[in-house]
Amino acid sequence: MDYGIEDKDQETVVRLRGRLTFNDHAKLRALIREMLQTKAKRQVLDLSALEFVDSAGIGMLLIAREEMSNVDKLLILRAAAGQVKRVLTVAQLNKIVAIED
Amino acid sequence: MSYDRSFRGSHEGGDHAPHPAAELESLGTVSPAAAEKLPVTADLLSTWMGYADVQRRTLEAIQHELSRTSDTVETATLDLSSRFRELAEKAMEQSLRVEQIVSMAGSIAIDGERVPMDQLVVGMQDMIADMIANIVTLSRHAMSMVYLLDDVQKDVSELEKSIADIDVINRQTNFLALNATIEASRAGEAGRTFAVVAQEVRHLSRSTGELADRMRSKVTAVVKGVRNGHDILRQIANTDMSPQMLAKERVDKTMESLVDQTNHFQSVLETAATVSSDMSSTIGHMVTGMQFQDLTKQRLEAINDSLAIMSAGLDELENRTRVELPASLNGRVPQEWLDELLGRFKLSEMRQRFVRKLLLEGTALDEHGVLDVDAGHDDSSGGDIELF
Repeated sequence: MDYGIEDKDQETVVRLRGRLTFNDHAKLRALIREMLQTKAKRQVLDLSALEFVDSAGIGMLLIAREEMSNVDKLLILRAAAGQVKRVLTVAQLNKIVAIED
Repeated sequence: MSYDRSFRGSHEGGDHAPHPAAELESLGTVSPAAAEKLPVTADLLSTWMGYADVQRRTLEAIQHELSRTSDTVETATLDLSSRFRELAEKAMEQSLRVEQIVSMAGSIAIDGERVPMDQLVVGMQDMIADMIANIVTLSRHAMSMVYLLDDVQKDVSELEKSIADIDVINRQTNFLALNATIEASRAGEAGRTFAVVAQEVRHLSRSTGELADRMRSKVTAVVKGVRNGHDILRQIANTDMSPQMLAKERVDKTMESLVDQTNHFQSVLETAATVSSDMSSTIGHMVTGMQFQDLTKQRLEAINDSLAIMSAGLDELENRTRVELPASLNGRVPQEWLDELLGRFKLSEMRQRFVRKLLLEGTALDEHGVLDVDAGHDDSSGGDIELF
């Protein structure tokens, strides 16, 4: 997995690409740190280019939400598709994290 | 009606003959005019006597046929009614059975308790949802642990480095204490107390070295444990459970199909139960409809009674006429009439009975071939229609 950060006034948009699996855990932790540095309250993870997420990936997204919440930031998962969307749906992640189409 | 027509038929081409009904009426009427003697030809009387004989026999045969027909219809109707009743009972039984299936179709027995299908499906879906929620929670906790142990590993490495730093410092301290001892011995008596201090510092340095060694061995054990734990945790966190999570989609679809199919079966069975019930009631109506036989029987009996009265009247008239006639005058067989009458019977069994009554018991000759051996054996079944 790799990512690109776009810091806007209203929100920070992070575009994830490829596969988000356990192997990306160090990278994701670094990303969380970067997100914590930004000023915007809304932290958006754009998942449209993410092809696959495993259960560890779901765990990491939840950790990201927690970290944002700790500093009064809002994590939003946006535009998930394919396998990622299906997993988010069956996991009923919308009950825990804000999800946008 | 058939009597009338048959009679007239027998007289085709002989329009000079008086109407038989008129003749019968004049013979039977008891009026002052009857006492009056009228000139009648022997030929006419002979013809009349012949007709009278055949007509009486015909009437008897017809009565007999009517009784037979009534009996046949009665037997057949009773048989049909009982079969229809049986059919109605079976249709009702079937309807009950199907209703039983309908009541069972929407539910499944679990531990002796009937659980409705939709409730079962919702229960199973909830169970799977809980399972997935647990997987998500576990994954999050596993990742938190991974991050924690990542940090611990870093801290432990720092600790190892710190112990190494202590060793360096200790070696320097030891070296300094050694130098101090050497310098103290050079100073002689004046350095004696300083030598004691230097010696103490060397002792301290050795103790510090030993402490550092002990710490190193413990820290090494901790590092080893943390690394092992980290590895195991990585393996756990690295086990992807997303396919198991996505299995919910398949289970949901299967459940949905199962419910749809059950509902379909149930509606089809409900229709079948209604049809069976309708059949049963229709058959009931048919059994009621069979009561026409009763009415038919009564009508036939009334007709037979009328025929018996007619037959008796005819018999009486015939006898009265015979008394008036000379013994030499016999009734003449009305051959044309007989031919016409017997030609109408298409059922050979019935024809035979008429022939026996009209010909064998009478004086007429067999000119109709009905007593042929073939004709006699032809209709063991009794109902065959003979076309001739």
